Amino acid sequence: MLHSLFDASVWTSLAAAAAAAVSSILFLRSRNFLYDSLALAVTEIGLILIAAGIVAGAVAGRLGGGPWWSWDARLTSALVGFLIYAPYLMLRRAIEEPTRRAASAAVVSIFAIFDLPIMTLAVNWWLAHHAASAPIGVEWTVLPVAALAAALSWIRLRREQDRRARDAERRAAQEI
Amino acid sequence: MKFLRQVLTVAVKDIRAELRTKEAINASLAFALMILLLFSYTFDPEQEMMRQVSGGLLWIVFAFAGTLTLNRSFARELPNDCLDALIAAPIPGSALFLGKCLASFLLVLAVELISLPVFGIFYRVHWTLQFPWLLVVLLLGTWALTIIGTIFSALTVNIRLREVMLPMLTYPILMPALMSAMRLTTSLVNGQPIPEDDFAWLKMLIGFDVVFTAVSLALIETVLVG
Repeated sequence: MLHSLFDASVWTSLAAAAAAAVSSILFLRSRNFLYDSLALAVTEIGLILIAAGIVAGAVAGRLGGGPWWSWDARLTSALVGFLIYAPYLMLRRAIEEPTRRAASAAVVSIFAIFDLPIMTLAVNWWLAHHAASAPIGVEWTVLPVAALAAALSWIRLRREQDRRARDAERRAAQEI
Repeated sequence: MKFLRQVLTVAVKDIRAELRTKEAINASLAFALMILLLFSYTFDPEQEMMRQVSGGLLWIVFAFAGTLTLNRSFARELPNDCLDALIAAPIPGSALFLGKCLASFLLVLAVELISLPVFGIFYRVHWTLQFPWLLVVLLLGTWALTIIGTIFSALTVNIRLREVMLPMLTYPILMPALMSAMRLTTSLVNGQPIPEDDFAWLKMLIGFDVVFTAVSLALIETVLVG
């Protein structure tokens, strides 16, 4: 059960990473801030999901009689993936100006999506001498997890749009 | 041809500024030597284990020391608004970027080539035996480090927390390149040729360099102008 939850969170967050990259490219082309909010929403939910997945995977390993962390290639690449995307949110917090923030974040997201396949391959080769890890399976759990992620991303997107609208009003008020 | 001359102009300018102030290279070199020394307290340098971890140690030193240089790459242009002047200059952003990359590449490489003999003396590894191959791995790994470091240096130059954000962004993205460089260096500094199986790592390192050079060149205008 926990294993399949881990698998489901990996698939869903990969989909989130792809969606973030696509909306980042769309933002850079159109400069429509809706795409920026979308990229932020899916990245944030994807990060939460993969963090929960890593915890589920570690607990599953422990319950299976092994150590918490057995340097399994799947868990390790999930962790590196988390570390690749976490600075995305930190960078957003560090930049005030909305256009600059959105463009910089989009660049990071595009770099990250190119890095993911190379990183996964590298981690797999590096840990090849460890216990061979089973390929990531697709089970029924992926459906509820993906649906939950989609719903959360939608809520996050609406909140971000609201916040942006309020910010715009505040800035307009200051100019007057 | 014109493009190449513009790249060289920026690179020569950067190297000249660095050689006059020596603000990054001195810090980078001192830092590299200090970490090399610190490692000797972690484990016995004369043990067999040293041979297995040497490539990893060396690249940790290079990556950390390199970030000090890369941090300065664009930050150097902040006083007197030099960065705005550079961006407004009649050269493409890609020429500016490649020039900065080339300058940082040479500076980081210089630090590496000085640290390498010191490493050999301290830890008794035979890095000279496979030097041509080692140089190939150094060039490829350092290019990966500089290309990623320079683009993120440009991205973070104007934000607060610049010194914190650069390593946070650079190291995770760089991980595949560092892994293959570590893997290849470990056998090379022990005087053995690259094992047959490890040529896949060399290909990955070349692939990483090609992919991210292309992505950086495609995105550099966005990074510089916003």
